[in-house]
Amino acid sequence: MARTRRIDTGELPEAEAIRLAQQGDAAAFERLYRLHNRRVYSLCLRMVGNTAEAEDLTQEAFLQLFRKIATFRGESAFSTWLHRLAVNVVLMKLRKKSGNESSLEELTEPDEDSGGPRRDFGAQDLRLSGSIDRVNLQRAVEQLPPGYKSVFVLHDVQGYEHNEIAEIMACSIGNSKSQLHKARMRLRELLHEALRAQAREDRKAASAETGGKD
Amino acid sequence: MATITCREFLNYLEPWMEGERPPDAHAHAHVRTCSHCSSIINDLEMIHSEARSWSVSEQDAPERVWISLRAQLEQEGLIQETIPASEDRAQAAAPRTGWFAGLFPRLPRPVLAGAYLAALVAVAFALSGPVNKRVNEARWLKGTQISTSPLSAQLNFAEQNSNSYVTRSNPVVAASLHQNLAIVDNYIALCEKSVSEDPQNEVARDYLFEAYQQKADLLTQLTERGENVQ
Repeated sequence: MARTRRIDTGELPEAEAIRLAQQGDAAAFERLYRLHNRRVYSLCLRMVGNTAEAEDLTQEAFLQLFRKIATFRGESAFSTWLHRLAVNVVLMKLRKKSGNESSLEELTEPDEDSGGPRRDFGAQDLRLSGSIDRVNLQRAVEQLPPGYKSVFVLHDVQGYEHNEIAEIMACSIGNSKSQLHKARMRLRELLHEALRAQAREDRKAASAETGGKD
Repeated sequence: MATITCREFLNYLEPWMEGERPPDAHAHAHVRTCSHCSSIINDLEMIHSEARSWSVSEQDAPERVWISLRAQLEQEGLIQETIPASEDRAQAAAPRTGWFAGLFPRLPRPVLAGAYLAALVAVAFALSGPVNKRVNEARWLKGTQISTSPLSAQLNFAEQNSNSYVTRSNPVVAASLHQNLAIVDNYIALCEKSVSEDPQNEVARDYLFEAYQQKADLLTQLTERGENVQ
């Protein structure tokens, strides 16, 4: 029974599970899924911000993984390989959503006119302190270009190192660092924009209230 | 000491944030005197810190993802059952003594379906109740049986209807569906046994619920196939 085996194979080392999965062993597939689904699901969830889509993408990532597992030779860590698949699945989805076939470079290097990071000298120096909470930051992350988002989620949320991200994203370590920095700067800018919008709303509400009393 | 501008400071920022380069004396001096640049550093550190805290709340994907994935893998022939032959024979020879066992003949493989979902969700809810109450084992077992009895009756009724459909459907399809349901039947029987042996085992109860869901899905598929061939 599959469920009995799930318990029995609970201690199966990853390498052994990979070997057995390459032979089509159902329990080994499940073991690998149980080992890695949390991180993959979290990655997808952070990237798309929607549980139903994240579930579909998680399933798709593992499906691709299991279809290709016979070709896994261990040149890179299994988790890195899996995350590369997952990131690609998510990026493909986001590309389809945006309705164009943009390259990864475009996804990670938006130009200044299309919402890329701008140096905000001269911008009103609103203090973000106290305004960076889970909800605000998640909203800002959702607005990041997909490439920035991938690097930010992998590094700042999931704790991957730049050399691992470089493998996952098929880019250089320097590129990973640069994208992360731009992502954080863009997030800061988005958070500032949200603060300014909120301040405007507050002023409007206050003046409406004052006008109503007059 | 020569001072640097805010624009020049940005060149120091990335390696600074990555902890790769100790703060340059010029950059350090600039940050001490420039509230704008010091606020950038504070903001970036807060963003990083908040994002890192998210990893604490990471959760597994819902169980339905694995169920659906497994069904897909089976459909594509990517996975094989690996039940040892001895275990398989023992299961086949063992009498079905559970309160749910024996209700069904052999039926088809699991697929996603919705017809019985509401009833199953209600059962899942009922199953989770005793988990929270932490009462004695006998009460747990009794609670499980009480909460699953209505489902048993519903599935029994559905199965009688499904059987009439399946006899009119394609014999090859019907045989395949019956063969696949045998797997689920075994699964249910073993889940029942696990729950009766250890009623407070949440994992066993979770699997039992999953088994019911698969059975309900199978019956729905059976009915749909039967309707399609009419």
